[in-house]
Order: sequence, then structure tokens, then C-alpha cells
Amino acid sequence: MPEQQEISLSILKKRWLKFKTLRRGYYSFILLIILYGLSWFLPLLINNRALVVKYNDEIYFPVISGYHAGSFFGQDVPGETIYRELKATWKAEDSDNWLIMPPYPYSPYEDITVQGNKMYEAPSKTHWLGTDNTGRDVFSRLCYAFNISISFALVLSTLNYILGVLIGGSMGYLGGKFDLIFQRIIEIWSSLPMLFVIIIISSIIRPSFFLLIFIYTIVNWIGMTYLMRAEFYREKSKDYVAAALSMGQSNFKVMFKHILPNSLVPIITYFPFSIVGGISALVGLDYLGFGMPPPTPSWGQMLDVGLQNISKYWMVMAPVGAQFITLIMVVFIGEAVREAFDPKVYSRLR
Amino acid sequence: MIPTFLGSTILIFVILQMAPGGPLERTIQQLQAGALQQGESVGSVGDIMSGGSSVLPESAMRELKRFYGFDKPVYQRYLIWLGIWPREIRHREVEFKEGLTEVQKNVGRGVYMTLKLEGDQVNVYDSDGQISPEWKASIDPEGSKENLVLATIFQTEFSGILTGNLGTSYTYDQPVTEVMAPRFKISMFFGLTGMFLSYIVCIPLGIRKALNHGSAFDFLSSVTIFVAYSIPGFALGGVLLVLFGGGSFWDVFPLGGFRSPSDVWDTLSWWGQVKDQLWHAILPIIAWSIGSFAGLTVLMKNSLLENISQDYIRTAFAKGLHEKRVIWVHAIRNSVIPIASGIGGIIGVVIAGSYLIEKVFNIDGFGKMGFQAILDRDYPITLGFLVIVVVIRLVANILSDIALATVDPRIRFK
Repeated sequence: MPEQQEISLSILKKRWLKFKTLRRGYYSFILLIILYGLSWFLPLLINNRALVVKYNDEIYFPVISGYHAGSFFGQDVPGETIYRELKATWKAEDSDNWLIMPPYPYSPYEDITVQGNKMYEAPSKTHWLGTDNTGRDVFSRLCYAFNISISFALVLSTLNYILGVLIGGSMGYLGGKFDLIFQRIIEIWSSLPMLFVIIIISSIIRPSFFLLIFIYTIVNWIGMTYLMRAEFYREKSKDYVAAALSMGQSNFKVMFKHILPNSLVPIITYFPFSIVGGISALVGLDYLGFGMPPPTPSWGQMLDVGLQNISKYWMVMAPVGAQFITLIMVVFIGEAVREAFDPKVYSRLR
Repeated sequence: MIPTFLGSTILIFVILQMAPGGPLERTIQQLQAGALQQGESVGSVGDIMSGGSSVLPESAMRELKRFYGFDKPVYQRYLIWLGIWPREIRHREVEFKEGLTEVQKNVGRGVYMTLKLEGDQVNVYDSDGQISPEWKASIDPEGSKENLVLATIFQTEFSGILTGNLGTSYTYDQPVTEVMAPRFKISMFFGLTGMFLSYIVCIPLGIRKALNHGSAFDFLSSVTIFVAYSIPGFALGGVLLVLFGGGSFWDVFPLGGFRSPSDVWDTLSWWGQVKDQLWHAILPIIAWSIGSFAGLTVLMKNSLLENISQDYIRTAFAKGLHEKRVIWVHAIRNSVIPIASGIGGIIGVVIAGSYLIEKVFNIDGFGKMGFQAILDRDYPITLGFLVIVVVIRLVANILSDIALATVDPRIRFK
């Protein structure tokens, strides 16, 4: 019956359809994807350099081409052009020259050294979330930090997964001495206070984005490894593995072609929570001053500065709020993914 | 457990010892900077610029190295620190000028020892001409030159963490244990109160949520749990400070500190002290407990839900037992098993993992001390701190096993 063939759905497709019905998680998912996608185009949306400048019949794209001195566009300022003022001047003069600013014309790095910027400005129409202790726009930094946080958590989780599947999978599948040795290593490693180890390492070498991820992966792979070990250990004894082995499949193929697809449920359901962990970890490290090198925008650094200026409420509320909204969206997604992939039906007598 | 302890301490020790910018280098830097500032031309400017340590006289370098214990290979330093390798104390330097093989040295209280250079080694003889049992001596290969043999005379003792000696802090100039004790108490106070509070809130809440699964109460409390899960304790602490700490909104609670400063504290009556303590502790404790709040409640709820749908509950109902008895005796007993096994992990996190909160509330606690020690390169404190954290975790693991065995009658350790 060909019709019936079409109706039957793969398990993944079924789960996806189930996920779509869980609206809280599904909408969070869509929204987060859109926001994260947009955040890669932040220089076009939130920046102090003009998108397009028409000056003396020439068209310039300062966002892409970068630095233009003020004198280049006939503006009398030291250093780089202040496009916001330039726009106002040209408008007042009613000149033929024009420029288009990004929708939110403040950059995350632009501090009081730029004319007209002030420290500790309360939220207003121009600075939506105020400015910080060096006159940098809080909203702008918040958005750039969003991109960095999510990217950090994504790369970190992916690396953890790769390590976890490789090591944990081998431990569960191979067993024996390999398993025993790694169990001891993990036992020792997990008895250390990890954040302190990171701080010790970070205080020796000033980490960059990828170095920080590398350090964090070294100390953070254990959770996933244990999960995968248990999963592979359980799957190993099932009939399909024996069947695959009896057909002469190599160990490598059995592990990654047969067992891995059957262990996808914990892998996928755990992923959002791994992201939550990654984001929180970065905020904590940045707060202590051992995260991204300054002046990289980061929620943790903003929180640190905010707490030093406790009377400027926006400097604390903005980063915490941004982190909170991001995390709760991820948690909603995680909850829905778990519900779709690993539904638990509770029956009650009364 | 003991191998794990040794393994972790070796790891910590090696990481710390291998780290550049340790206390020795830092002190040398400080001394150099000091010399530069004072304009003292101890060494020529070129020497300083080239980073040479020639600013310091050689003997001072040796003294420093010995003070920080860097005159020994790493494995010896580790064993000394453990307390199973003799620690050299009361150093005195002795010089054998060219041709001399015998030197008298005052070792304090008017006691003179005779050092004799015999072949490759130096032996110490007391006034009776016997080899001294207390004092030993060794040749310092770095300081010795062709016509001058440099030796040190010293006593030895076994003192390390196994004998309860964690060393002396570089920055506080006090024994590490004395630095730690008051701060540990503070962290214990917050940690245990926070843990206790989260248990007495989470377990009933989880039970109630499970019994009313799907109700409005369940939904509303779930929202709270989501919020609690999405906001780390220290970030919540920051928000609470802004809201209630008197910055921009309400001025209800103090901005931080464990309690009022001692000059105020001492004037308070007993009741006043209790009030003052609570006044300072409320916000930190909220921040402290929020971390385990979401996890514990959900764990309790899910495990009870799972148990309620099991067959043995059906059987219990079928026997004609009252619902209260079925739930509170049969189901709950099995549901607290996962909670009991998690108790160790929570203890470990609560005591040692809270320095972010301590930093936010400016509480001079255990975690903050450890963090500051790393910044200051105060190795005795850093090591002592890490060792205590490791021990707490190992003990906490045992505690969870005991708790598990107490709650779950099927598990017995033989």
C-alpha cells in the first residue's frame, strides 16, 4: 500500500511535529534562532559608523571600509569622523551630502574619548539602557555580548559533546582497562573545584575566545562523558550490536553508525541545558575578570562594573535581564525538547 | 578515596608549581621595581632592562628561593608539603674558605657546632665530637665556587598537611589554618542555612506539585522554578542589592558584609546581634539557596510522580490502604532516594562553590579567601584551600552514600 508508506513518519519527524505543538518552547526556539542570526549582522544594526555616506558625489561604506578621519568628510574633529554629528550638520546645512546611520548609532567600544559621550547616563531615548562607567552604550554592549555568549556556549557544548562521545563512548563500548583508567582520571579530575582550576590557568595566560573555550573544555568534558559512557554501555549489549558485529562491522562503525544514532535522545535533550551551563559559566568567569579579554563586551564584565556602581540600577539590571531572558528561552526550548524526545506519561490512580 | 586525594593534590601541586609568575618571581619583580623607584643603582640599568636578576645579590636570591621552597625538585616539595619528607628548618649558611675543612658555627643559644668538610659531604659534630643527631648540613651546589664551598646547616622536621600544618600564608603572615578558620565558619553559616532552607522549601513544594500535577498551583510554581533556574545566584544577588540595598530603589538591607563592623557589633545586645545578623544574612541566603531550589524541587516532583505511577502504589491502594498512608509512607519513602543521594553534591557546592556570591555581597568568606589567594599567588593558602575543598567533596560523597543507605533499605554496605 503506497499511500500508507507516505503517511508513516520517521521518528525524528514525529518528534519534530510534537516539538512544534509545544508552543512555549517552539516560539522560544524560533525567536532565539532569529535573534542569534541577526546578531551576526550587528555591525549593520548597532554601530557608530555610517552604513552609506555620499560625500562630494562619491559613495562610501564606512561600516565595511573602516576608519575614515574626520577631515576626510570635512568634519573638524580629531581622529575618526563622528557620523552622528556629521549627519546633523549636513541636515542643518541642507547640503547635497547625506549619510545613513545604522538603526542604533552607538558602538560597544565607543567611550568618553569620543566627543559628546558621557559617563553614567540614565536610560533615555538616545541611550536605551544608559551608558556605563566609561561612557559606552549599555544596550549596544548587551547585544554584542549576546552574540559572544551564545557562540561561546555553542562551540563549548559542541566540543564537549565530541569529547564526551569519543571518550565516554569508548569507555562504555570497550570497557576493560581503558574504562578503568579513565574512570580513575575522571574521579580525580572531578574532585577538583573546576572554576578555580580555570582561574588558576587564566591568571597565567590571558585567554582569548578560543583559548577560553579550550580551557573550559579541558575541565568540563566529564559530565557528557559519563552520560555517554552509560548510554554506550547499555546499548552495547543489545541484539542489533551483536548483529552488526557478526556481519563483520568494525568497532568504529558499530560505535558511530549503529550505537550513536540510537543514543541521540540523551544527546539532544541535554544540549539546551549544556548551553545554559556554558552561558552561565562565561558570565561567572567574566564577572571575576578571568573571561574574555577587555574590552570585549560581556554580561559578566558589565555586571561587575554595575555592582561597583550600585546606584546606577541600569548597569546591573541590563546584563542580568539580558542573561535571564536568554537563559529562560533556552530553558523553555530544553523543556520542550525533552517533552518531545523523551515524553513521560504519568498515570495516577487517584 | 586516598588515591583520589593523592591524585588531586599532585595535580593541584604540579599546576601551581609549573605556573609562571609564582610568588618567587613576583617578589623579585617587586624588589626590582622598588630598587628602580628609589633610584638605587644596585645593578646597572641595562641589567634590569634585560630582566636579569642581578639586581638582587646572589645570597638574597638563595634566601628567597629557600623561603619559597624552590630550592628543591617538585616531587620533594610535594612530599615535604604532605609531611612525609623532612622539612628543613632554621637554616644557617656556612662558608668554607679555600683550604679550610673545618668551621665552627653558632646555632643559637651559644651552642656551637663543628662542621667538617669530608669529601663530597659536610658532617656536623657537636661539642663532644659526636655526629649531631639534630643538625644536618649539605653543600649548596649553586652558591659554591672554585675556591669557596658554601654549605647550609639546618634541622629537619616532618610537618605537612598530614600533620595538620598547612604552612604560613605569604600575604597574611599567619598560619594558614588561622587564616582559614573564621572564614570557613562564615561560609559554613551561609552554606548550611541556605541548604537547610532549600530542603525545607523544596521537598514539600515538590511533593505538593506532584500531588497536584497539572493544576494552577503546579503551573504557577513551575514558572517560579523556570525563573530560578535561569538566573544564577550571584546575578540574583546583584539584582537584590540594587533593589533593596539602597542604591536606586528601597533602602532595606545593607550592601554587604557578614555582620556589622565589630565596633558596632560589640555594643549590641544579644537580641540586637541576632537581628543584625539576620538583617545582613537575608539577601545572601536567598542568593545562596536559589541555586539548588529549581533542581531540588523538580527532582522531588518527578521522582514522586514516577513512583506514584508504579504498580506497588496500585497494590497499596488495592489493599485498601488510606490514600494518606499510600503517599506519605509508601511513595514518599521511595521518592526521597534520589534527593538523599544528591545531598553530598549539594554540600560540596554550597561550601566551596559560593565565592561568586561572597564577592557580590562582599562577605569575607572561605571562597573569597581562596580566590584572593590565587590572585596574590599565596600558594600555602591556595593549596590549603584546594585541599580542603577536595576533602569536603570526598567526605560529601561518603555522606551521600550513608544518606542513601539510610533512606533506601535495599542498599547495604558490607
